[in-house]
Amino acid sequence: MVNTMKKSIKLKTSQLMNSDIDKEQNTAMNNSYKKWFQSGSPWVWLSAAGVSLSLISVLGLLWLIASRGLSYFWPATIYQFEVNDLQGHNHTVIGEIYDRESIPVGQLVHTKLKFAPDTLEVERILVKTGNRELVNLDFRWILVPQITKITEPKNIVVIERRTNGNFYGFITKVILDGETVSNTQLPQLIDRVDNFQQQIEELQKSDIGSINYQLERLRLKEKKYQLNHQLTIKIKHEIDAEIEALKIQYQQLEQKLTSMRQQVARDKIEVRAMNGKVVTINLENILTVSYANKLNLFEKTGVFLQKIGHFISDDPREANTEGGVFPAIFGTVLMVLLMTVIVSPMGVIAAIYLHEYAGNNGLTKMLRIAVINLAGVPSIVYGIFGLGFFVYMLGGSIDELFFPETLPSPTFGTPGVLWSAITLAILTLPVVIVSTEEGLARIPASMRHGSLALGATKIETLWRIILPIASPAIMTGIILAIARAAGEVAPLMLVGVVKMAPTLPLDGNFPYLHLERKFMHLGFHIYDVGFQSPNVEAARPLVYATALLLVTIIVALNMTAISIRNKLREKYRALEH
Amino acid sequence: MISVTPKPLASQQEIRDLANLTPEQVALKIQNLNLHYGEKQALFDISMLIPKGQVTAFIGPSGCGKSTLLRSINRMNDLVDSCHIDGEILLHDENIYGKHVDVAMLRRKVGMVFQRPNPFPKSIYENVIYGLRLVGVKNRRTLDEAAETALKSAALWNEVKDRLHESALGLSGGQQQRLVIARAIAIQPEVLLLDEPTSALDPISTLTIEELINDLKKQFTVVIVTHNMQQAARVSDQTAFMYMGELIEYSDTNTLFTTPTKKKTEDYITGRYG
Repeated sequence: MVNTMKKSIKLKTSQLMNSDIDKEQNTAMNNSYKKWFQSGSPWVWLSAAGVSLSLISVLGLLWLIASRGLSYFWPATIYQFEVNDLQGHNHTVIGEIYDRESIPVGQLVHTKLKFAPDTLEVERILVKTGNRELVNLDFRWILVPQITKITEPKNIVVIERRTNGNFYGFITKVILDGETVSNTQLPQLIDRVDNFQQQIEELQKSDIGSINYQLERLRLKEKKYQLNHQLTIKIKHEIDAEIEALKIQYQQLEQKLTSMRQQVARDKIEVRAMNGKVVTINLENILTVSYANKLNLFEKTGVFLQKIGHFISDDPREANTEGGVFPAIFGTVLMVLLMTVIVSPMGVIAAIYLHEYAGNNGLTKMLRIAVINLAGVPSIVYGIFGLGFFVYMLGGSIDELFFPETLPSPTFGTPGVLWSAITLAILTLPVVIVSTEEGLARIPASMRHGSLALGATKIETLWRIILPIASPAIMTGIILAIARAAGEVAPLMLVGVVKMAPTLPLDGNFPYLHLERKFMHLGFHIYDVGFQSPNVEAARPLVYATALLLVTIIVALNMTAISIRNKLREKYRALEH
Repeated sequence: MISVTPKPLASQQEIRDLANLTPEQVALKIQNLNLHYGEKQALFDISMLIPKGQVTAFIGPSGCGKSTLLRSINRMNDLVDSCHIDGEILLHDENIYGKHVDVAMLRRKVGMVFQRPNPFPKSIYENVIYGLRLVGVKNRRTLDEAAETALKSAALWNEVKDRLHESALGLSGGQQQRLVIARAIAIQPEVLLLDEPTSALDPISTLTIEELINDLKKQFTVVIVTHNMQQAARVSDQTAFMYMGELIEYSDTNTLFTTPTKKKTEDYITGRYG
């Protein structure tokens, strides 16, 4: 009994002691936790986490569009599948694997296929088979269990064509001017056709294009005289004579063109498709012929780079789903440059007025608030404004005043690259104004005083001292403006971008830069190819490739501007205290 | 290197009586100048004659209005919105606050050097000829000669002649201040205003500038503001002591420092306040 008592007392004391120790430990922990909190390291971790998150999302985005986009250019292996289909027929499918996915067996009940009892999912692959003249669809799904054999025949060719997409098959015959020749002659024959094609294109674009342009100008000239009631018989004869001369020239060129076309149409090849049918393909329709399965890594890289080159420098084909994006690149860059040329002086002048001349009163404050709020207006609103004010009002008036002879078809009274550039200039104006004003405010007063004390007027001080010192800040504004404008699509759809522009805004016909023309834009191109094209599956990699290109171009434009700014900054760095 | 020799007695006696100078001896005539910053009056009824070809120093405690008075002489106070000025400052018998005065032209005649060196972020050469470019001098040779003369007058030529086209921001503080002086004298002003020109400089550079001031008065009328009484004593021919916006005492430097007539002056120069 006593023993138990003693024990219990001992126990109690030990419990007491234990709880004391607990308390001490608790307060110690609290203290260390508090210390850790006070040291600021949780905030360091938090901000580090924030930075890494943004870094990961940027890199992830770039990785996604780069991998998806660039794989489009990599020459894929061409497989030959022997497939046993639902009716029990055997047939051959040739093509490149485009995608693969697993589907639950339940979805395949209607096919009456038999699978092993415990199968839950079946893999199927999407094969790009091309050969659009033989089958309606470029793509087909094949269930993996139906495949009896997969091979990679070395002599399969991929024929990239101007129309009808790719053709996959085996070359059976090369026909030179009606006679069968050896397959090894094919590359030379294709080169020859390529040469002719280029000449034809040149002839059509520059020579014939220029004659057409001149004919149109003459027609307008005549109409202008008519409108002004100045069309005398003498003038009419002169114009007619000129038109005659041009028509003769045109006929000569056309003869040349016809003979070249005949040359191009001379040779053909015969190709056996996957279903055994033999198809004759004219060489003029062929862009490249490659034995994709024969290429080693080095050759594949060559083809890869070549394809990228074509993508960047060619015109689009087949409703934008194939070919290159050159006009879109050109349009984007030209529009952004025009925008920069317009917005820089406007923004700088506005900022100078606000900072140097406007009195420090309520009106100026209102103006400043208005400028800052302009930056928050949704871009499509600028598009509507551009369409209503610039295109219809301004452009319409310009047409009535200067181009009455072309009416009712508008010249400037229709969306075009000039209106797009001006609309985006208005959109980016606040950015330039705000950063220029900040730059002006940062300049030490001693610079102004020094100049004024030497007998300079205010405007002389501005031109010679203040603006050069503020130039890095102005460049910062321009960089931000470019970054914003180059990615903008919505307003452009209203004021100048089109799916397919027949001519670039810059060509060899006077006045060379045709600001009234519509243009193509990479941002719109992405939307168009991705969502408006007849062949969405085929266009998907193109969307990524175009997106990658757009990002690259914006980065390049920005880098140029940033390097200019850094040079200027270096020059004036000693001033920044 | 620098000698604080007593000034030649002859010239001092010539103008001992600052109230009765002949018109030829006067560079600037300040008459009943009152200056307000908004409601606050900064200068009270200042009248004084500043003699030609001499160094005149303004001394006084901080906030006494000596810099304000200096800035009134080339109308730099115009830059302060709330500043209002009554009275006259006559340069060649013409009020610089008159209605038809071209301020830019005035500032060409009355140059100014500030407390902190403020070279423009341009080359040394471009800094010096800035004022000449403003008046439209384009002849390369004229500009070169003017730059050389100005830099020599500012005792800077030997240090920079091999790097005229390098940035002026690469010079030391003392060199920058002399460059700014060269820039001011390149346009041949009549009066040169120096607003505490050595307060941001080290002692060696200060001595060089003080020596330079002694040379400059051969060509220009120099008015200097300084908070350093020793400096005023070393470089100036006459000194004006200002206190709380008023001109307390104005006489030749020796007299002011040795036998001041006013109590406040004596207190200040003996270091009782300031």
